[in-house]
Amino acid sequence: MNPTILSACPECDLLLKPSSPVVGDKVHCPRCGYLLQRPRKQSVERTFALSIAGLILMFPANLMPLVGIKMLGGAKDGTLWSGVVALFEEHLWGVAVLVFLSSILFPLLNIILSLLISAHLYFNRPNRHLAHWMRWLQHLDEWAMLEVYMLGIIVACVKLSSTSELKFGFGLYAFVALLIVTGMLASSLDKVLFWRQIGQLRT
Amino acid sequence: MKSKKTALAQGFIRCHDCGCLSKQTDKNSQCRLCGGRLHPRLPNSFQRSAALLLSAFCLYIPANIFPIMTVTRLGVGEPHTIIGGIIALVNGNMVPIAILVLVASILVPLLKLLGIGLLLLNVHYRWQVHAKKWTILYRIIAFVGRWSMLDIFMISILVSLVDMGSVAQVIAGPAATAFAAVVVLTMFAAKNFDPRLIWDNQR
Repeated sequence: MNPTILSACPECDLLLKPSSPVVGDKVHCPRCGYLLQRPRKQSVERTFALSIAGLILMFPANLMPLVGIKMLGGAKDGTLWSGVVALFEEHLWGVAVLVFLSSILFPLLNIILSLLISAHLYFNRPNRHLAHWMRWLQHLDEWAMLEVYMLGIIVACVKLSSTSELKFGFGLYAFVALLIVTGMLASSLDKVLFWRQIGQLRT
Repeated sequence: MKSKKTALAQGFIRCHDCGCLSKQTDKNSQCRLCGGRLHPRLPNSFQRSAALLLSAFCLYIPANIFPIMTVTRLGVGEPHTIIGGIIALVNGNMVPIAILVLVASILVPLLKLLGIGLLLLNVHYRWQVHAKKWTILYRIIAFVGRWSMLDIFMISILVSLVDMGSVAQVIAGPAATAFAAVVVLTMFAAKNFDPRLIWDNQR
């Protein structure tokens, strides 16, 4: 048997016959039900476009204030970065580093890697780092937690709303847009297709 | 006794990163497509996962008994533990948010600690039944893991926003580091657990 045409389920290792799903299909593992592939329309093109949009939105979402508060005469704006700095100043280095990685660095790396990979696939440019980038992207995916951060903002705002006056900055709108773009990015990136194309570019 | 249906039983190794199948030959061979190291199963999956889980269990105790933040209002400090923060939300008539925080910072970490523990017991004692249900438990744990970061992000926002000197100030407490470590350790434990071990015990 030729191993190149066969595949295996990543969660139960069932040996599978090759299938060629079309857009709109969902291929599940017959034994454990794992979602093996879900082909997307123009996966490479959409990933390319969405990662450019995400990269642009990264700037206002990181640099502009997300939420501002007014309390007993004092006023303060909060950005993604100021949260990290505040934790750092209270000597909680571990937590500060974790917040920095999961809310700033990993989302950024995620978008940059998607952009690099989809750009190379779109223009049919082989690159010896493609497989490395794709591997990093798969490992980083779980650690970029923008949607959890959004929930954190909501809970913090509800907590503060009784005692102080809240003002939503432009950064928050950019952040919500970024959240939507990264969500679409994750769903448009068809890993099986990407790996297959990376393999084809190599040879 | 392994089922003949798995790729490993047929002499193929699935690459963890790109999903490409290779013939099982000598150890430490590389994947043809992406160049990654080939392992039939995640290396030392059981031991690594168990070690990470035990450390998470130990840190879960300080995470719950020490204050996670101290809210100072007009010079009077009031330390909150995780549960204390939820009770304060309930008293402030913010029950939906209280439930959200309860789920994210108490139920989810507990579910993960107990769930990964049960999965490890399952693999160790080779419980042969309901492999599909166990796989679903694994999927829930892997999906839900990152949402516990909610509390950490909320604290980072509160600490940076509420910083008005003696009028009002939020200071993060030592439990924040312990709690963040619990979240990260359980995420790594879930990542190191190989769900195929559940299926390897099937007859």
